[in-house]
Amino acid sequence: MEIVDLSIVSLALVFLLLTLPVILSLIFDFTLIKPLFYSIIRMTIQLILIGIFLKYLFLLNNTLINLIWLMIMVTAAVFSAVRGSSIKITKIAIPCFFSFSVVTFIVILYLNIVVIPLDNIFDARYLIVLGGMLLGNSLRGNIVGISRFYKSIRNNSKKYLYVLSLGSSQYEALLPYLRESVQLALKPTLASMATMGIVALPGMMTGVILGGASPEVAIKYQIMIMIAIVVSTITSVVLTILMTLRVCFNSYGVLRQDVFITSKTNKIK
Amino acid sequence: MRIKNAMIKFNHIHLNFNGKIIIQNLSFEVKHGEKVVLIGKSGSGKSSLLGLLLGFIEPSKGKIFFEGIRVDKKSAWYVRKKVAYIDQDVSIGDGKVLDLLNFVSKLKTNKSLDFNISKVNGLFCDFELSNDTINQDLENLSGGERQRLAIVISILLERNIFLLDEVTSSLDKPLKKKVTDYFVERENCTCLVISHDSIWLDNPAVKVFDVEEGKWR
Repeated sequence: MEIVDLSIVSLALVFLLLTLPVILSLIFDFTLIKPLFYSIIRMTIQLILIGIFLKYLFLLNNTLINLIWLMIMVTAAVFSAVRGSSIKITKIAIPCFFSFSVVTFIVILYLNIVVIPLDNIFDARYLIVLGGMLLGNSLRGNIVGISRFYKSIRNNSKKYLYVLSLGSSQYEALLPYLRESVQLALKPTLASMATMGIVALPGMMTGVILGGASPEVAIKYQIMIMIAIVVSTITSVVLTILMTLRVCFNSYGVLRQDVFITSKTNKIK
Repeated sequence: MRIKNAMIKFNHIHLNFNGKIIIQNLSFEVKHGEKVVLIGKSGSGKSSLLGLLLGFIEPSKGKIFFEGIRVDKKSAWYVRKKVAYIDQDVSIGDGKVLDLLNFVSKLKTNKSLDFNISKVNGLFCDFELSNDTINQDLENLSGGERQRLAIVISILLERNIFLLDEVTSSLDKPLKKKVTDYFVERENCTCLVISHDSIWLDNPAVKVFDVEEGKWR
């Protein structure tokens, strides 16, 4: 069964649904109308442009162009992650880029070569779509994980220094913070996995079903993508943090205060 | 470069922070077995001196020596294995006291040490902490209990050099005396203490160095 296409008129009718939040916003004075419409217009323009772009990308299906586009997606994800993390971009952009690229490529190639497996492992339909899903999810995890890691050490600096003073290695002193950050980064993914299929039908599964595939195929793809998301989130958070240690800590194992966008000064007695 | 005799030596130390001069051309040394108390008003750089020795802060100018070896980015890790440091705020984290003791005993550098429960209980008893303390949450301990727990941990580490930053501030008089006596009576242990407490300053076995004036009192 082919998916029913939406005409321009149908799409316009979807916008009519927005009347409800607009009315609610007017009644309760949510001051939501401006940001809501700004976000919806922005999303619509972005999706129209990417729709046109992806149409030609899929038509061309050129390995080099597909890979370049994936790298552009990685770069955009890195900048979003760094911007959300309160750490200076100059300090962590390169480690973050390396970690996102390596993890995304390894996981996608594993899926495309071993799991699915595809004749053309760089097929745009798989490379770009899977890449987008992995990057989007590990991006959220990385923002949470990196921020928590560095903020936690800064906020507990006395405790961290006390552990160093006990004669611990830097790895031993950092391990509790790494554990806490990875657990926090993974929390939203684990929570969504717990309710998946019961409370919510996930995006990929919905897409595959609407695309005409049977629910059996859809759940198999959904299981695959969720495991890939968990793996790429954990791995990229750990790799990014480990790779940023050298630039964010000095040789004495002390966190550099200039790594934060709004640096706090130490109180010296 | 090795300097003999002095256990700890601060040599022409300058420390600036955010453009402000904290320490200017300060020199003094602590010999093996000495108990030295640092005094000076708030902001004179007393705690910074301990931070400098541990490599938590780098001097703007000058050198610090520990057991004759210059403290730098490599030797600072060695210094931390040889000294026991107790901060004035005793930031020992959250969780239970037992979790903290387990964490400390599992550090690679402390694996050979004896952290058995009878030894811990013995030290708890020495410093008037109840045996039940081990199962308490760290955040529920009073300031004085936290200070005594930190002292117990520093003793369990079996180190001979103690850096004590206002460790008796939250203790009552008999306990202050007990803690002071414990460190002062041990000939083999070297102490660098920050305190304005008369129980330290009036002790004849203690040397007092005025950080502000830069000279012995």
